[in-house]
Amino acid sequence: MLQSRAIAFAFVAPALLFLAAILGWPLVQAVLLSLQDVRVIGSPGAFVGLSNYERVLGAPAFWRAVGLSAVWVLANAVLQTALALAAALVLNEKFPGVRIARTWIIITWIVPTVVVVVIWRWLFSTSGGMINPLLLQAGLIERPVGFFATPWTAMATLVFINSWRWFPFIALMVLAGLTRVPEELYEAARIDGANAWERFKSITWPLLAPTLSVLAVIGTLLSFNVFDIIWLLTAGGPAGGSRTLPVLIYETAFKGYRLSEAAAISVIATVLLMAFAILATRTLEKGEER
Amino acid sequence: MSRGLGWNVVLAACLLFFAALIGLPFWWVLTGSIKIPQEIIARMPTMIPHSFTLQHYQKLFSASDYPVYLINSLIVATASTVLTLLLALPAAYAFFRLRFPGRAIAYRTILLAYAFPSIVVLIPLFGLFAKVGLVDRLPALILVNTAFALPFAIWMLRSFLAGIPKEIEEAAVMDGAPTLTLLRHIMIPLIAPGIASVGIYAFITAWTEYVFASVLILSDAKRTLPVGFSGIIGQYQIDWGLLLAGASVAIIPVVTLFAFVGRGFVSGLTEGAVK
Repeated sequence: MLQSRAIAFAFVAPALLFLAAILGWPLVQAVLLSLQDVRVIGSPGAFVGLSNYERVLGAPAFWRAVGLSAVWVLANAVLQTALALAAALVLNEKFPGVRIARTWIIITWIVPTVVVVVIWRWLFSTSGGMINPLLLQAGLIERPVGFFATPWTAMATLVFINSWRWFPFIALMVLAGLTRVPEELYEAARIDGANAWERFKSITWPLLAPTLSVLAVIGTLLSFNVFDIIWLLTAGGPAGGSRTLPVLIYETAFKGYRLSEAAAISVIATVLLMAFAILATRTLEKGEER
Repeated sequence: MSRGLGWNVVLAACLLFFAALIGLPFWWVLTGSIKIPQEIIARMPTMIPHSFTLQHYQKLFSASDYPVYLINSLIVATASTVLTLLLALPAAYAFFRLRFPGRAIAYRTILLAYAFPSIVVLIPLFGLFAKVGLVDRLPALILVNTAFALPFAIWMLRSFLAGIPKEIEEAAVMDGAPTLTLLRHIMIPLIAPGIASVGIYAFITAWTEYVFASVLILSDAKRTLPVGFSGIIGQYQIDWGLLLAGASVAIIPVVTLFAFVGRGFVSGLTEGAVK
């Protein structure tokens, strides 16, 4: 028994120590840093208590970033989950090439983000991009649109691009949930004369709803952290219209040279995210008990 | 299972929509990379290229450091994959089978690490790496990417282990096999598809990582593909041909890898998720 316990520790310790060193210890350092007045990496700082937090919480730029992050996360969760659900329902059917489709749908997720950025920056651009001519031809717009030119179109375009990258990944998770719905249920409903919509409403949806809510939570956590797509496409602009919390943290630290203030924002962001994660898990678990 | 005609039409329409949504952007990029510059920025874009040139690829490989970025990325991604598996396999097995104090708490903490905002550790990690002389060196990125892939890797491998019939493991224990032998000769071969899936996950995580690679690496010769490539975006007066060629080349390694093990990866991902 004692020996097996030693083996268990020997197995777990490397991974745990590794995570503690690369993620845990820096997290502690971030908290310490947020209580000092360090401006550039490597320079010494004095202890200033909670004054960084006071300054951050009193800054309109911070609250704007919180609001934009909330919009970003919510819009992505809705769009991603909707696209993922539709795609999963299609992939759950039988048609020629379904196995290939199930594998290759995820291609948007396996290519580097910077490639995603180049693809869409080009397609949305006004010189040679495909989107504007397509919309013009369809009569939806009268003149070419600068998608990254105004805050709201930029935000909407970024949400679309990020959801495009992530929805296939989530669709495969939804598909995993769908394949667990017993075929007999559908057969029985069909014999009772239920049409496709009724079958979806009374069988698929109730059985799938728990999976979808879990995925919405995971999707929220993942999209909160998205930095590279926003940074490379709009750098938080125009006029700060896409400056979400990760962008604000990066700017404060590496453009504004206020390292400690950036650390304070990141600590607040972590607390907000963890609070959301715990609250969401609790709500989901309660929902399951009912 | 039979479908009505109406349902078939809806299905076909949805299929077409998703095929276009995912396939068309890639088609346009790949074909765009072999068009001459005038055709790329033409007012009316062409679906099928009217011209053919390899000039963008030539420029990519001769006038930019792209090949260096490519090699750096391959080194970082491969090493991260190996390190992730070496750390995740024993840990996943311990969390799955062995009993030890603090097991539940440790497992939950690891899952929590998957959710927390990575940008928080960016600044302190730079300071930490500066102290041990790892800034501007590829091992720094290998360590970081491994840390990012590890929580999900442990979680996924654990659910694969849970899929092994208990009798097989019990028979081996009965025969008196030591834990390490059991893991090496029985469990690992049985979850080979799971290991492949986790390996791909780790590879892709490292292959696509941008933020840490942009801060922890300072010299141009050590940049990874995402960072080096994003530098090319700004460096030239938007040369779309060059960018499209660069994008196409960046797609090739992961797509090649995926062509061999993609199906296993996807089923691994979904099977791991439902347990």
